Amino acid sequence: MARYRPRLSALPAALALLLLATPFVGLLLATDWRHFGFAHGDGGAVRVSLGYSLIALLPIVALGTPLAWWLARHRVRGQWLVDALLLVSLLTPPLAMGLLLASMYGPYGPAGHLLERAGVLLTNSAPAFILAQFYAALPYYVMAARTAFEGVPRELEQIALTLGYSPWRSFVHVSLPLARLGLAAAVALAWVRALGEFGAVLIVAYYPQGIPVKLWVNLQDIGLDAVYPLLWVFFLAALPMPLVLGMAVRRRLA
Amino acid sequence: MRIDYRIEQPVALHASFEVAGFTVLLGASGEGKTLLLSAIAGLIAARGKPFDGLPPQQRAVGYLPQGHALFPHLRAWENVAFSLRGAQRRAQALQWLERVGMADLAERWPASLSGGQQQRVALARALARKPSLLLLDEPTSALDPVTRDEVLAELIAEVHEAGIPALAVSHDPALAAVADRLVLMHGRRIVQIGTPEEVHAQPASGAVARLLGLRNVQRGRVVGSPGAQRLSWPEAEASLPLETPLPDGTLVDWHIAPAAVRLHDQSVAPADAIPAAFELRQTAPHRSYLGMRCGQARLWVEPPAGYELPAASAVSLPPQAIRCWPVENGS
Repeated sequence: MARYRPRLSALPAALALLLLATPFVGLLLATDWRHFGFAHGDGGAVRVSLGYSLIALLPIVALGTPLAWWLARHRVRGQWLVDALLLVSLLTPPLAMGLLLASMYGPYGPAGHLLERAGVLLTNSAPAFILAQFYAALPYYVMAARTAFEGVPRELEQIALTLGYSPWRSFVHVSLPLARLGLAAAVALAWVRALGEFGAVLIVAYYPQGIPVKLWVNLQDIGLDAVYPLLWVFFLAALPMPLVLGMAVRRRLA
Repeated sequence: MRIDYRIEQPVALHASFEVAGFTVLLGASGEGKTLLLSAIAGLIAARGKPFDGLPPQQRAVGYLPQGHALFPHLRAWENVAFSLRGAQRRAQALQWLERVGMADLAERWPASLSGGQQQRVALARALARKPSLLLLDEPTSALDPVTRDEVLAELIAEVHEAGIPALAVSHDPALAAVADRLVLMHGRRIVQIGTPEEVHAQPASGAVARLLGLRNVQRGRVVGSPGAQRLSWPEAEASLPLETPLPDGTLVDWHIAPAAVRLHDQSVAPADAIPAAFELRQTAPHRSYLGMRCGQARLWVEPPAGYELPAASAVSLPPQAIRCWPVENGS
């Protein structure tokens, strides 16, 4: 048997890696390491980003998981409408999504008006921040979680039924554990999307300022030198969770 | 236990028969056998007895699908304990595994078990649910051919010991041979029911004979009236002497046992013999078959021990050894 030679495929792969790395090499070179320091409010932005992104993950997982399972398991007439809705949510430019959210949930929007009466202000507030992150990350989570559930053999769920399990217990004891690797990847993706969201957050929640908006504010008010240190912190804070989840998934699959 | 189920979708199917001991529903692929099991287990929409209208989790069936469907994220004993509750579930699961001879492998993951071992774990898992009916889908399909007969014997012994009626669906004549009761399905209808001895002694049709795995089931037509009959065998472009009460022109499936076929040297063959060319020899432990080509057809012949095949051979088929079944319309 001829030995497998990875040389040909290694070339484009190496090029892809090089291209991926280029902006961060730029960051390494551009950072003024001698005068590395933070702007006023950077610490608060880190807390806002991490704290609210974690909170945003809760409704994303709680609502997105049942939807993803339903989409993976049921074929109904008009399902293309659901698919289209998910795709439109993915396609909408973040800035436009922010405007749409403001038009519905803002003080003059129909939903916002009702919620304001109930005491929830969805403009420049913590709930508004979380709302924007929810909309930014939910469709990605649903898409990834749906694929994870589609990988679970339906036969195993049916066997659980014949063994006396209700559909809910079958979901908890068979579907969830068998989809867990894909669901972990979906959570990691949602986390990355929520943390990095700029456009929608900028429109509906300029305050409280998370890292992406604070980067922009620092650029406007101070200049590039105030951007790079915060960006380093952003990577340090955001990377561990998806990295560990991804590594765990690949270790299980290997 | 009486099974009476009617399915509309995705194919229309009605089956009504008695399950007693180890009952095998024998039918070709595409007859809807798996569908029938799914219907009895409540996994697809269907009406029928028993369990009519109950959701699957309330039907006391032990379902062993093809490939066994063990939960890959659970160890062998956890699979068996799946339907058990309470503090004793591990101990009970180990008892069930002990019963099927798998106690030593309780901690193994399903992926590390052989097909036969997986089947026994699946059986223990189904029995632990205390079913009133066992359903087995193609139980021989995932078995290693070398150990198949032993695993099968073990399975049937365990089913008998459990004392639960079991319905196995299969297209495998080897499974049919060990059944307590055989139900034969052809054209989405049940065409014969009986013990394997009864069915083998009197197959109801050519289709049944084929399902039972009989060699030499051929298509032909009766020519002439009783007394001066011949069997036209178009595939071999031959005509054979025949003795049946069937009227002239009847389309038939016919069969002759390989041991009843006579081999001749072509130079001294009787007038009715058909030229036959040797194709292959199939040697089994207790007998061997010769595959002989007659025109477009293959005829299996079981020669006497030590028989030397002549260079140019012919076969003759004694008319009293030929069994004919009139072919019904459309089958």
